[in-house]
Amino acid sequence: MSNELIQIETPFQFSEENQQEFERLIQRYPVKEAAMLPTLHLAQKQAGYISPAVMEHVAELLELPVMKVKDVVTFYPMFFEEPVGKYVIRVCYTLPCALRDCKLVLEHIKQKFDIDVASETDLAKGTTPDEKFTLLKSECLASCDVAPVVMVNDDLYKNLTPEKMDEILDGLE
Amino acid sequence: MVQERRILYEHLDVPDINTFDVFRQYDGYKRFEKAIKEYQPDDICDMVMKSGLKGRGGAGFSTGLKWSFVPRDIEPRYLCCNADESEPGTFSNRYVLERNPHLLIEGILICCYAMGISTAYVYIRGEFTLGKRMLDAAIEEAYQQGYLGKDILGSGFDLDIYSHPGAGAYICGEETGLIESLEGKRGQPRVKPPFPAVEGLFHKPTVVQNVETLCNLPFLMGNGVEWYTDIGRTYGDTRFDPPQSDPNTGTKLYCISGDVNKPGVYELDLGLTAEELIEVAGGVRGERVKAVIPGGSSAPILTHYELECRLDFTSLTLWKSMLGSGGIIVMNETRNIVDCLLNIMKFYAHESCGQCTPCRWGTPWVRDIVQRIADGEGRQTTMQRPKFGVAEGGRWGDTGEMEEVYEDLDLLESVANNIANVDTMTWNTICVFGIAVSWPAVSYLRKFRPEFEAAIREGKLVTLSVEEATVPPEENYAYQQRIVPSLFEAPT
Amino acid sequence: MAFIKLNDLEVEVEDGTNIIEAARQHGIEVPHYCYHPGLTRPANCRMCLVEPHVFFPPAGKVVPDRQLATGCTTTVRTAPPDRKLDGKYDFIVRTDSPRVKKAREDILEFLLVHHPLDCPVCDQAGECDLQDFSYNHGSGKSRYLEVKNVPPKKDLGPDVLLYSTRCIVCTRCIRFCDEVAGTGELGLIHRGSHDEIDIPRDHDENPLRLLDNKLAGNVVDICPVGALISKDFLFKSRPWFMKQVNSVCPGCSVGCNITVDYKEDGLYRIQPRFHEDINQHWMCDDGRLGYHYVNSEDRLQIPMKRVDGELVPTSWADALNLVVEKFSETDPDSIAIIGSAQATNEENYLLGKLAHEILKTESIGLFGREPDEEHKFPQFTIDADKNPNTRGARDMLKLGDDASLTEEVFRDGIANAKAVYLVNGAPERPLDETAKQALEAVDFLVVQDIFESDVAQLADVVLPGVTFAEKEGTFTNAKGWVQRIHRAVDPPGEARTDWEIIQQLANRLGGEMNYHFAGEIALDIAENVPDYQDATHQKIGDGGVKLNGGNN
Repeated sequence: MSNELIQIETPFQFSEENQQEFERLIQRYPVKEAAMLPTLHLAQKQAGYISPAVMEHVAELLELPVMKVKDVVTFYPMFFEEPVGKYVIRVCYTLPCALRDCKLVLEHIKQKFDIDVASETDLAKGTTPDEKFTLLKSECLASCDVAPVVMVNDDLYKNLTPEKMDEILDGLE
Repeated sequence: MVQERRILYEHLDVPDINTFDVFRQYDGYKRFEKAIKEYQPDDICDMVMKSGLKGRGGAGFSTGLKWSFVPRDIEPRYLCCNADESEPGTFSNRYVLERNPHLLIEGILICCYAMGISTAYVYIRGEFTLGKRMLDAAIEEAYQQGYLGKDILGSGFDLDIYSHPGAGAYICGEETGLIESLEGKRGQPRVKPPFPAVEGLFHKPTVVQNVETLCNLPFLMGNGVEWYTDIGRTYGDTRFDPPQSDPNTGTKLYCISGDVNKPGVYELDLGLTAEELIEVAGGVRGERVKAVIPGGSSAPILTHYELECRLDFTSLTLWKSMLGSGGIIVMNETRNIVDCLLNIMKFYAHESCGQCTPCRWGTPWVRDIVQRIADGEGRQTTMQRPKFGVAEGGRWGDTGEMEEVYEDLDLLESVANNIANVDTMTWNTICVFGIAVSWPAVSYLRKFRPEFEAAIREGKLVTLSVEEATVPPEENYAYQQRIVPSLFEAPT
Repeated sequence: MAFIKLNDLEVEVEDGTNIIEAARQHGIEVPHYCYHPGLTRPANCRMCLVEPHVFFPPAGKVVPDRQLATGCTTTVRTAPPDRKLDGKYDFIVRTDSPRVKKAREDILEFLLVHHPLDCPVCDQAGECDLQDFSYNHGSGKSRYLEVKNVPPKKDLGPDVLLYSTRCIVCTRCIRFCDEVAGTGELGLIHRGSHDEIDIPRDHDENPLRLLDNKLAGNVVDICPVGALISKDFLFKSRPWFMKQVNSVCPGCSVGCNITVDYKEDGLYRIQPRFHEDINQHWMCDDGRLGYHYVNSEDRLQIPMKRVDGELVPTSWADALNLVVEKFSETDPDSIAIIGSAQATNEENYLLGKLAHEILKTESIGLFGREPDEEHKFPQFTIDADKNPNTRGARDMLKLGDDASLTEEVFRDGIANAKAVYLVNGAPERPLDETAKQALEAVDFLVVQDIFESDVAQLADVVLPGVTFAEKEGTFTNAKGWVQRIHRAVDPPGEARTDWEIIQQLANRLGGEMNYHFAGEIALDIAENVPDYQDATHQKIGDGGVKLNGGNN
């Protein structure tokens, strides 16, 4: 570990549309810092993940030291610091889903793509080589009546079995 | 069989109820109009106090009392609607957000009018992508129709509602964790006092209220206090009922999942028994109920002979458990309680914010002990010691019998109690996450001790029958204390 | 003032005092980690739990509160008459009940869960709150059998290392960087039991920022365990082998109160000492890490004189005689005395007496380090004036506020001087060409210094003086606080304390000074220098004395 500060080769900038959205966001709060979470979501949508360049840009926009962005990014599991697959698969693993055999669904996906479950510090091991899918365990997704559930990006799928999971995943471009 | 009384959920399945026009057809926003035209803010606060409405998010604190703590001479004041539904076993807020968001908006309008609040944030968990879309669309409609923004309906009352996404942290459902997260920081709960009502968001007076609590307001407004107080349990028909001075009024959106045939949300008067609820949910899936978690994974567990307990705030507290978010999880005879506890402890270890010493390093320790027991590495000694239970004189004490010493079970109970103590109902942590970790752990261990002992003895998880896995009532600390409150008092 | 019952004591405490401070004021230790009087209170370590007693209506009497409270956030307030406890107390608290003792044991057990058995190799041993509180309040054993976390050791910046395995995540360091320094380089990464302190890094651990603000060293002081370590002090000494004196930092005119750790072979470490008005709990890294010059092998150790254009060593007798000889034969109008903003009040006072009473010259100037930038932090300022005693020297030498320390002194003050006695003593003091030329033009230049500096190299006689750590005396800071420095180590070689040299010279030139120690000179100063009447060594003590009158 060196003490050489890294240089950001390609700085990150919001697209024009996103910059306008950001301007709208900060109007909602008396303090710019409060716009942190929605701004990070916006940035992650554009950049795919929160790179150092993204953190520097967000820090600059919110007028904060960059560490204040980094400490938020590492606290919340929905923010990724590494590239993720085109589709992020979240398999809920908490008790009500566990009682409804979520393990079968998870193991099936692991086998299907021959990947492990990604961890928060090592997303690569849960990502397919073609970078199409990343597999994560999730905590309770508040859909226990239709357990087991899986989210793929923004969409929630319910009452799953390995077969149904196949149908869904095979249908994704 | 107990019948549902669908008030909040009454129109959930009406097509397009998420649109302003359809919502309007079902009295939508009319209750708010009544509030703003016929009542002063203080009158509404009075109504809420008299109604006995308790917070539906988990704490069960009197909503009217919470509102009374807010100083009216400090500006601005804020409302944070807690839509960060993350308690395992709970899923009722989701349906409101996805299907009937205008109902929430109306509830927020009434609350903010009563409290003189002009900015409200709905903190909605990041995974509720559909819910946020629906809510945002409904908020947009409300602005267009003149129910949000400046000078609403010409009353001089302003209100802005903004949705604010979370990003996957359970602890942001704790009211001060939510506030910290809304302020753009790590969701680490604050030390209380000061309480949010006095010093909350941006250090201003803030009311933090769950989605379900706010959704009660339109109906309270529309139908009045008397109507409301008639709903909920009437008391006096069993020896286990709470005193009348602490009414549990209104309906609750009971979420029931796990080993039942018809999991789902059932809206029922507060106070039906666990047994009745399981019946409503189509009965147990499998042969028998082994255990029931009555209020989200943070609640101490109930055994098969404790199902006559009423699922309301007061009764469950007297049973040394809690109603919490009202997420009931049922486990049948095939389930291993040690395994269930492990699942929950992994959840808490992952979700601990890490701020304070006992939770940060105590929670994973509890998980690791349970993991070792589940992996067959639990420790037992060859010693014996006196067994404690209901002893002479009707007190909890030395029964005169001997029992085996299982070191890791003693360790588990000790470590969990050092985070937060089940018997004294105290916590060494900053927030009640400590309770959420330790009360389940201790209750599972004490009530289902045979399965823990079997795992240690056999060197692997052993699922026992319902009877064999459960300690008899005479050895069940919670059961005994419920029927004999003086059990744990020192002899005079 | 509130009247409280603290264990078995009945004491008065100011309203708004928290329990930790109230207890400390009365000799009772409430162990704590995350609380620091100079920072905000997160109450996250839970070590300071105490037991308040409250009135419990159902029992009709005062009982221990159901829940223990953190002493750092519990403050004492005068209660209205109808809410006094037991009729007379505004507050009742116990810090010694069985519940409190058990809570401390439990918290310590949690704190030690991941802590490595590093004491034999950890710098903090002997000064460690974890050691001390474990010894005083712990159970003496741990029941933890699981695998310990091993977060990595980190290099945070120019002087600070982080041994993450030892960190108890009290967050004092983060709060310091946010609140006092305002720089915010430190924060937490991950969540729960994986919490780590760090600077911002990319995914390959390369830093985006370093902990390199000028106050960074303070985080090492406030770290209650051996997690944050100074690279400067790493592995240098066990604290119990070092001796310590109180002193004042000579780095600038703020005059931070410090402690100096030393052994016979030199200075080992400088740390700040609390002073409510001057530096609170802090000091800057320039002062903290800038002491190595005291130990340098290049220190002047013997007098020197110029022979055939070269400086050669000589004896004190020879050097002093040479000075006396040259000064005696020079007309007083052509003699100049240049005092030092690096030297003490006592020394400058003697120089003033030498100039006015003995040599009868009015040409007096002041030399010192050149000003640099001022650094302003939210709760701390580093002055631009890099001399510890500009104000004191001006006061002693009766110079105005505008008396320059810089090269102007050479152009104006000694433009026509033939014999000049100049005291330097700065750790570093380069000269520009004009200054060098001006000094070269002086016929006979005597320089009293600690290194063969640019100035000393131009001298005809060089007299070896000492640093702030090798003498007694006082400095006056920019705000008018007169404070004492204390001798730690002996002067190197034959170097002598500066006031002794001046006294010896003065007496050989006809004076009759008879001071045996610096304190005696201070008594004279108190009698003769306006505003300094309370600035005797005794009255100054450890807390300093503020000058009355003058600009503050």
